[in-house]
Amino acid sequence: MFAYVVKRLISGVLVVTLVSMAIFLLFWYGPSSPAQPICDRETSNRCTQTKLAVYEKTLGYDNPVYEEYGKYVKGIFVGRTLTIASNDYECGAPCLGVSYRTKQPVKEELVSRMPATFSVAIGGAFLYLLFGVPIGVAAARRRGTVADKALVSSFLFISSIPYYLFALLTWLYLTITFPIPFFSDTGYFSIAQNGPLKWFGGLFLAWVALGIFGCTQYTRFTRGAMVEALSEDYIRTAKAKGLPTRTIVYKHGLRAALVPVVTIFGIDFGTLLAGTIFTERIFDIQGIGYWSLQAVQGRDLPVVQATALFSAVVLIIANLLVDVVYSVLDPRVRLS
Amino acid sequence: MERLDSMKRNKPLALVAGAALLTLAACGGGSSDGGGSNGGTDREFGDQEGGTKDAARKGPAAEIEGAATGGTITVYLPGDPGPDSLDPTTGWSVTGNSIQQALTSRSLTQYARDENGQPVLVPDLATDLGTPNDDYTEWTFTIRDDATWEDGKPVTAEEVAFGICRSLDSEAFPSGAGTEYSKTYFKDAADYEGPYTGKDPNCEKWDGIAVDGQDITISMAKPFPDMDYWGAFMTMGPAPLGNASKPPNYGNKPLANGPYKVDSFKPNEELVLVKNDQWSADSDPARHQYADEFVFKFNQDQSKVDEIMLSDNSDSQTAVSTGLGSDKYTDANGQLGDRLVQQTSQCVSTLTPDYDQITDINVRKALAYAYPYEDVWIASGEVPGVTRVPANSIMPPGMAGKKDFQVDGEQITYDPEKAKALLEEAGVEMPYPITMVYYEVDPLAKAAQDQITKGFEASGFKVKAVPVQESPYNIWLDPDNKVNKTLNLRGVNWCSDWPSGSTMIPSLLRGGAVYNTARFDEASVNDEMDNIATLPLEEQADAWGSLDEEIMTDYFPIIPTAFRNDLFVFGTKIGNPTGDGSIGAPNYKDLYVMQ
Amino acid sequence: MSADTAGPETLGSLSDEPQHQDPNSQQAKEIAGKSPLRIALGRLARDKIAVVCAVVVLFFIICAVFAGPISHLFGVSLETPLASERVDGLNNNMPKPEMGPPFGPFTWEHPMGVAPRTGNDNLAYWLYGCRISLLIAASATLVASVTGVVVGLLAGFLGGAVDKILSFFVDTFLTIPFLLAALTLAPILNERFALYDSYATIQKFSLVVVLALFGWMGTARLIRGEVLALREREFVQAARVMGMPTSRILFKELLPNLAAPIIISVSLMLPAFVAAEAGLAYLGIGVTDGVSWGQTILQAATPTYFREYPQYLWQPLLGIVALVLSLNLLGDAIRDALDPKTRR
Repeated sequence: MFAYVVKRLISGVLVVTLVSMAIFLLFWYGPSSPAQPICDRETSNRCTQTKLAVYEKTLGYDNPVYEEYGKYVKGIFVGRTLTIASNDYECGAPCLGVSYRTKQPVKEELVSRMPATFSVAIGGAFLYLLFGVPIGVAAARRRGTVADKALVSSFLFISSIPYYLFALLTWLYLTITFPIPFFSDTGYFSIAQNGPLKWFGGLFLAWVALGIFGCTQYTRFTRGAMVEALSEDYIRTAKAKGLPTRTIVYKHGLRAALVPVVTIFGIDFGTLLAGTIFTERIFDIQGIGYWSLQAVQGRDLPVVQATALFSAVVLIIANLLVDVVYSVLDPRVRLS
Repeated sequence: MERLDSMKRNKPLALVAGAALLTLAACGGGSSDGGGSNGGTDREFGDQEGGTKDAARKGPAAEIEGAATGGTITVYLPGDPGPDSLDPTTGWSVTGNSIQQALTSRSLTQYARDENGQPVLVPDLATDLGTPNDDYTEWTFTIRDDATWEDGKPVTAEEVAFGICRSLDSEAFPSGAGTEYSKTYFKDAADYEGPYTGKDPNCEKWDGIAVDGQDITISMAKPFPDMDYWGAFMTMGPAPLGNASKPPNYGNKPLANGPYKVDSFKPNEELVLVKNDQWSADSDPARHQYADEFVFKFNQDQSKVDEIMLSDNSDSQTAVSTGLGSDKYTDANGQLGDRLVQQTSQCVSTLTPDYDQITDINVRKALAYAYPYEDVWIASGEVPGVTRVPANSIMPPGMAGKKDFQVDGEQITYDPEKAKALLEEAGVEMPYPITMVYYEVDPLAKAAQDQITKGFEASGFKVKAVPVQESPYNIWLDPDNKVNKTLNLRGVNWCSDWPSGSTMIPSLLRGGAVYNTARFDEASVNDEMDNIATLPLEEQADAWGSLDEEIMTDYFPIIPTAFRNDLFVFGTKIGNPTGDGSIGAPNYKDLYVMQ
Repeated sequence: MSADTAGPETLGSLSDEPQHQDPNSQQAKEIAGKSPLRIALGRLARDKIAVVCAVVVLFFIICAVFAGPISHLFGVSLETPLASERVDGLNNNMPKPEMGPPFGPFTWEHPMGVAPRTGNDNLAYWLYGCRISLLIAASATLVASVTGVVVGLLAGFLGGAVDKILSFFVDTFLTIPFLLAALTLAPILNERFALYDSYATIQKFSLVVVLALFGWMGTARLIRGEVLALREREFVQAARVMGMPTSRILFKELLPNLAAPIIISVSLMLPAFVAAEAGLAYLGIGVTDGVSWGQTILQAATPTYFREYPQYLWQPLLGIVALVLSLNLLGDAIRDALDPKTRR
């Protein structure tokens, strides 16, 4: 088990390195100089070739690419001082660069935006697990009944709609057509500054959208897994032994059924933590996803780089955790 | 003529205003129905009629009738990222300067809003508006002794001189207004690298400024009659000596000397200002300290802000918005009354045909007739006749010396037949090819470009519109840019830095000027511009007005497509809802919360 | 994929095993004539939902293919009108009453009304938006499937180091969040080609590349798994023993047996790409020339337009939902038909 985790960690590090290199090279060899956006910005669009050269030099773009990549990696571990034109910017470890727009260390802004994204992700995931799994179990137990069929087909319908349209409609109807006073001012309001009530009110609709949509999918997963599990031989054995239905369903069936659900959930949740771009864009939540969208539109390369790297790391960790949890839940799986 | 006016604001406007406005850089407009400024509505305009100066104005500023103290004013800035840095030396944007100059950062001079809504130039840190010598090559300002920093220490003449010296460091402050004015006009400034880049932390190597007790004297490289206006820029204010004001860190939390100080600043997100208890009203002829707190929220979503402002809930009653979506104008106009303020922004939108490539004046005029003004405004989310009004020349309405003339006798409007006739007269081959760029990331820009293309192609032109992913200015202002080399039609939005033709015409039409995207270069015109600066002050305004007319009539090198206005929305509990005519922003100095 | 080449039966004659049955007997012909695919097709035809969905999909395909003639029939076009002719600049930029809803009666001039602010004809934009949507989704599906199948085949069949490396790439690509990658790539590609006259085409092409680049991994995994199982089967072993070249084994022996998984992955990809194309356009990083359902949604989803002119939003939105929904349901039905064991 330990050896397996180490092995997975190594391969994870390898993937992260590869991703970071790919992004680095992408900007380095992009159609325009990677210093162009900052030069344009700082000079109010009067970036001449001479000025661009100054920026390229101080940012190190006239050095060999491997040398600069080395500095970038080193900065992540020990921090560095970045020079942009004649100004020095202190960038402590882990240094992910300095935002071209705000001139603040990217890491600080990333950290300051994490609560928003995490609030969305945790709240949404909580809702869809809370409703998805029990409904799925219930449907599996009543498999084949009218209620089951109606539920399954209506949920199939909802989950076939692209998520962003579902979220958009939720937003339009619940803030514009039928505004709910307390909840229609969506956005992220930190608990520390605005109190838990405002925080809850601002995020509620985003959670509802994410929750309902996710719930339909998790109901289907859970139902499918439950149906599968309940048709296993050991369940028949348990029934034959005369165990109470409750025990059969929840102790034997659900435990087996949860395994695939946990797997999917782990990856899903990782994706959410890495940035919920559509949810944040639609509900105006200033989290990591919206930030990366704005960074792309504002050509803020260090931020684009950092958000891509961050999400890769989160997804890799999520994958690893899922595999570990999988082996714990399902004794048949041996990690090696 | 003693008709001077308000002040500044500038190019970064176009940048600051974000994606939506970038569009208009390429477009703009200038025809339409009313011909006047009020295009169909009976709304009172925050217009500019030529301001005045009052060198003798003393602190404290007159109380606003009915003003109360206390409360928090929230200012929403839709689609506007705000300043990246609060360092007074680096700021040159309407948003940053309007906030900081009104509330936190004092300079030599400033503007007060008079009872007619006109900006008046009055003293600030200086005791008067400065004393020039005969040929405006030397200006002396006496710094008042009762102004203080937020830490209670007095603002000294040395600190003011150091602040001014900082504006010469164009590498540490590449976007600062000093790069345009200090560098051009101050003596030996062009060769001085500044305190940071030149490794001269105490500014000893530059002798263009002399401090004698409370007096500072600035020597000029050439006559600079507008120094008193330039003094109203916050970059002409003090900075703490030495490392305390070292960039870039100083820009996160500059030391305030106005009625408010920085409580917290998150670039592109939020700026919170709180009362500065060290500021004394007696020392300041124009600022007030009514509200307890100002919260500026940058980068807001326009439609969301519109919803808030029109809902009149507890959030919006003490809020101000610096913009209104065009899809809300009709509702807002009916609902808000005098809490919807229209303010001229002293800006002109232009199209600039390349003077070297489009050499025939008739072709340039044909372009002006081929531009579907009102359609472009609508498509780009403007309200015709309200946020955009037809323009006849470069100098915006109300600027001292502005002539009321029309190049062709009447306002140029969209007229494809006339355009075709002009092309025929020019004897050029039709369709005449035009290459231009548009900012494709913004659907509004794309829609506006579609209208332009439609109008041009109906008028005997053939349009190649190159989509770009960045601000068109990046293309237009870079002579080496490969896209730029293919263009024969560009554009610029220009705003006056102060109400003198000297901040409009030379910037746009002097040979070799950075923003001269028309590449217009006529020796006689260049000479006339140099000549005007040496005229007696009272003749200059008229001279600029005449030059404006002469250029448009004789050469028509630039197509003014619109004069621009801003819309501000004030909450029901905001007292004295007015605009600041000097800069095209809400009048932060005089706002209060009704109690 | 023609049905008679599919299935392990095609290799029967190559096998050394004795034939237990006369291949020409009536009974054998019936079995041989019904390949798994044909059986599945039969099941599909009896599935009412599947038939309805297929009809809906067909409708969209017709709209897409004949966007030009249909617009012509209605007398509408993509051509930009002068905005002031169709919308009222002093009434929130809404369409003038004579342009049809929301302020006027229905008019045949503009059966679906015109867009606020620009006055573009909604029907024409809808039809061409449908074309773009299907074109991009289908192209991306094609590219991604081919890539996925090739990678899956190679990884599964060759095994060893090749499998390890290819699987590593699959894992790596799975770790990169698609949206962020698209966000990063779009401006780079667009900037690179901005000056070309065929920019609009190139933009769509690069969109296909971006979609395919992050869409092939699922197929690759699926195919790899199938191939791992198939390569131990007798007919493959036999082909190997006979010294058949690897490429021939891959494409002549294995590929025909992969029809089912390929169809399954296509059925999953197609609706996903339709949704993704519109999603990217909605975020402003996909198609930017305005002819995309996603872009129309972006413009329509403002409070004012939604309140006063909701059909402007509903037209493209229903287009996407109906198309994606029927593609998804049809896909489900196809998967069920191919593998009757799965329960819905």
